[in-house]
Amino acid sequence: MFKFDRRLLQNFDWIFLLAILIIAVMGIANLYSATAMNEYFGTPVYMKQLYYYLLGFGLAILLISFDYRLFMSWNYILYAGAILLLVIALVFGSTVAGTQRWINLGFFRLQPSEPAKLVLVITLASYYYRKDTGKGFGLRELGVPALLTALPFLLILKQPDLGTALMFCFIFISMTLFVRLKWTTLATLVGSCCALIPIGWNYFLKPYQKQRVLTLFNPELDPSGSGYHILQSKIAVGSGSTFGKGFLKGTQGHLEFLPERHTDFAFSVWAEEWGFLGSLFFLICFFFLLLLGLNIALSSRDKFGVLLAFGIISLIFWQAFINIAMILGLLPVVGMPLPLFSYGGSSLITTLAGLAILMNIRMRRFMAPTL
Amino acid sequence: MPRIPTRIRKLDEAELKVLKRRVDVVTAIIIVFIAILISRLWFLQIHRGQDYSKLSENNRVRARDIAAPRGNILDRKGNIVVANRPQFNVVWVREDTPNPDKVIKSLAKILDEDISALLKIVRESADKPRYVPIRLKKDIDWKTLVYIENHKIDLPGVRIEVLPIRDYLFGDLASHLIGYLGEVNPDELKSLQWKGYLGGDQIGKMGVEKLYEDHLHGEKGRKYVEVDALGFEQKQLEAQEPLPGNDVYLTIDHKLQLAAEQAMEGKAGAVIAMEVNTGKILVLASSPPLKLEEFVDGISTTAWKSMLDNPLHPLLNKSIQGQYPPASTYKINTALAALESGAITPKTIFYCSGALKFGNKTYRCWKKSGHGAIDLHRALAESCDVYFYHASQETGIDNIAKYAQSFGLGTKTGINLEHEKPGLIPTSAWKKRKYGESWQDGETLSASIGQGFNLATPLQICQMMAALVNGGILYRPQLVLSVKGLEGESLQSFTPLVDGKILGSPQNIALIREGLVAAVNHPRGTGGAARLKSIKVGGKTGTAQVVGLSQHKDLKEDEIPYKYRDHAWFTAYAPADKPEIAVAVIVEHGGHGGSTAGPIAKKVLKQYFNILSDDADFFPVIETD
Repeated sequence: MFKFDRRLLQNFDWIFLLAILIIAVMGIANLYSATAMNEYFGTPVYMKQLYYYLLGFGLAILLISFDYRLFMSWNYILYAGAILLLVIALVFGSTVAGTQRWINLGFFRLQPSEPAKLVLVITLASYYYRKDTGKGFGLRELGVPALLTALPFLLILKQPDLGTALMFCFIFISMTLFVRLKWTTLATLVGSCCALIPIGWNYFLKPYQKQRVLTLFNPELDPSGSGYHILQSKIAVGSGSTFGKGFLKGTQGHLEFLPERHTDFAFSVWAEEWGFLGSLFFLICFFFLLLLGLNIALSSRDKFGVLLAFGIISLIFWQAFINIAMILGLLPVVGMPLPLFSYGGSSLITTLAGLAILMNIRMRRFMAPTL
Repeated sequence: MPRIPTRIRKLDEAELKVLKRRVDVVTAIIIVFIAILISRLWFLQIHRGQDYSKLSENNRVRARDIAAPRGNILDRKGNIVVANRPQFNVVWVREDTPNPDKVIKSLAKILDEDISALLKIVRESADKPRYVPIRLKKDIDWKTLVYIENHKIDLPGVRIEVLPIRDYLFGDLASHLIGYLGEVNPDELKSLQWKGYLGGDQIGKMGVEKLYEDHLHGEKGRKYVEVDALGFEQKQLEAQEPLPGNDVYLTIDHKLQLAAEQAMEGKAGAVIAMEVNTGKILVLASSPPLKLEEFVDGISTTAWKSMLDNPLHPLLNKSIQGQYPPASTYKINTALAALESGAITPKTIFYCSGALKFGNKTYRCWKKSGHGAIDLHRALAESCDVYFYHASQETGIDNIAKYAQSFGLGTKTGINLEHEKPGLIPTSAWKKRKYGESWQDGETLSASIGQGFNLATPLQICQMMAALVNGGILYRPQLVLSVKGLEGESLQSFTPLVDGKILGSPQNIALIREGLVAAVNHPRGTGGAARLKSIKVGGKTGTAQVVGLSQHKDLKEDEIPYKYRDHAWFTAYAPADKPEIAVAVIVEHGGHGGSTAGPIAKKVLKQYFNILSDDADFFPVIETD
């Protein structure tokens, strides 16, 4: 099955790749600008990102070389591996800024929660595929995927990394809503969600996390404290106006008013330097990529492909939406990278792996699954 | 090779359709979400872009104040008395220090301070934003400064701040008159913020520093710097240099002031010298002086308390706030009143037996053996109390008071200094008002020699002397000559102000002046201690009783406890025939005016007339009055 079918190359979606490359170029240029004023020792951030891209593309070639449907056989191994890595990170991981998110591999600090997101997508797609219920899922059938989600969710919450942990919820909710649910189940779920929010607020959120949520609604209350990020980010974005301040000319970003400007707040730098038009262009490119992804889901010949493609798209979409909404002051500040754009090897490679799986599905859209 | 478990079933096909229909819904949802982001972008970047651009500009560009050097304070001849010097302070910006413990530890060593003391300062500023510099030590020496500058790399976040601070070139010279600075307090801030004062700024708290604050403080400069979020200056965009304050020229002569203060060293009291024909103050000294250096960095509680507790009361400006019985210096006034009212003539002679019985009380003369038959001239020269007891009988208290008031006694002189005291000149109406009792004739006797209810400030006595010898004009004491700007241009200059004219005919005034000259120059005069060979001096001694305790009567001066000793007065003018300068001296608990206060007045006069030799330093001094 590893013998390469010529038809696969014919069916390769070059436009999809082009869209990725365009976003990649924007991202690296933006990182170059965001860190231009800093004197970092060693490799500059944008160069490192470039290396991660190359690494990611290498992995992508590997990931498209076999039939994506193999993931279904491997999903529990993948899942177990992801959980193991999360536990290792929690137990032996290097502590950075009070959180234990990383496993130091020497040349690379792996953040296991990033690939775990993709593993969860694969796991849920596999589960929902296998668990065929003609009439739709009831509460009982949702117990297993809920547990599968809860385990990594809790491990990541323990790091603590609220943003990433929430992504697991988003993936679970999106994919569960995507498959056929019984109406009664849906109603129960929505009802209990509403009930859980106040409980979660009171018992699970740390005071600083509550503060972040509260300051979202009135950042001016505390401009030097927790509202600082939102306020500075809004100033950066807003001052970009229509045409932006120009490449490398974003004062907000360069003068370090923006915290985390190369990771979570990378888009602020972009919006400041390229203005409304540049931001619009980015969003259109990103939107285009997502639409292509959904099209891949549509074109898939099997349910697993559809579920997998949808899961990956929802993973990328939610991260992008939450990140940008946060930068624009629409959502509280949580650690959430903008896929393909924020600096960070684990996130980038995971995203590229996800996109590779999409291409894999795309390439095999005319192929009948071998039995 | 794992088997691919994908199955194509009928059911799959059906569900595939459902799922694919849902993709359309998902597409719609994504479009909505993206639309939210785009409209938010439009709102921030286009609708409010202008506002945020302004905010971003403010963020990037910080205005930093540059303290303006305060104006100098100079004496009448243009000698700088108070200037500025740079003060180097060690400040620490917490935000820029990755390892605060290490930095504090090394700083403690460098600054020779306790770690706990430094930490205490840091804790006190804990609520300030972390980019705000905390002042750890003020006014470090040159060696420390060089050390810190050379070890900058090991001390991240530590910076040297340079501030202009007051430099007192003559130490505590004229300290009460110059006054001191302090940090602007919240109340002052509220009323002065529009003038650009900010918390932590220095402002005049007393004396000329306070009264001429508007002139002295100058205008802060401001530089606009581009900063990063850590507050580090990236580059300077533009700067507006500070405008130094204007210079205030005082009427005092620093050499004269110095002479007076040196003469008062170790004593409590005041010395005033005044130009008799203008009212310009030449000397305004109060002793002990304020230790101005202690105020430079904000006075410590212990230093303040020790000043408060000091029995010599350094905080009091005795020249204008000290109210003492004018004692025999008041005889100048009594004499004038008696002459003018016709109670006496220059030829009137009274007999002094050393005491006068009046009613059932005996009023003593300072000279127990008595002066014998004595006229006004001798009574002034020898300060005979009995003579004035007699003279006051005919004159009456209200007449005496009338003349005293024309000398400006009993009311503030209006000198441009705060908290001046008015003194007190009693009248019968005053006593009725104050105590509801009528005036007793015996009280007139005490009042006639400046005891009893009478109170005067040294400045008032000096003003009285000046008015007596300048032709009767009561000049308002003037402290500031002019205010000059940066280029030396005069911004404000002050001319003498006349507050009134004393009652009394020139002939009578001349008579009194003759008596005063005799007091200094006649061998039996009480003011011999102020006698000069080359310049003729006129003067009057005075010994103000602190308590009329008879128990100390027979004790020698240095046997009486300090606080019960009499205050010593001396007031003089010179030259006698063409007066230029009037002097008033009081030495608290100094004993007799002639022997204690006289020599001090003499030192001032010698300095004024530039008499460098020991010219006529030895004259027999009558150890009394």
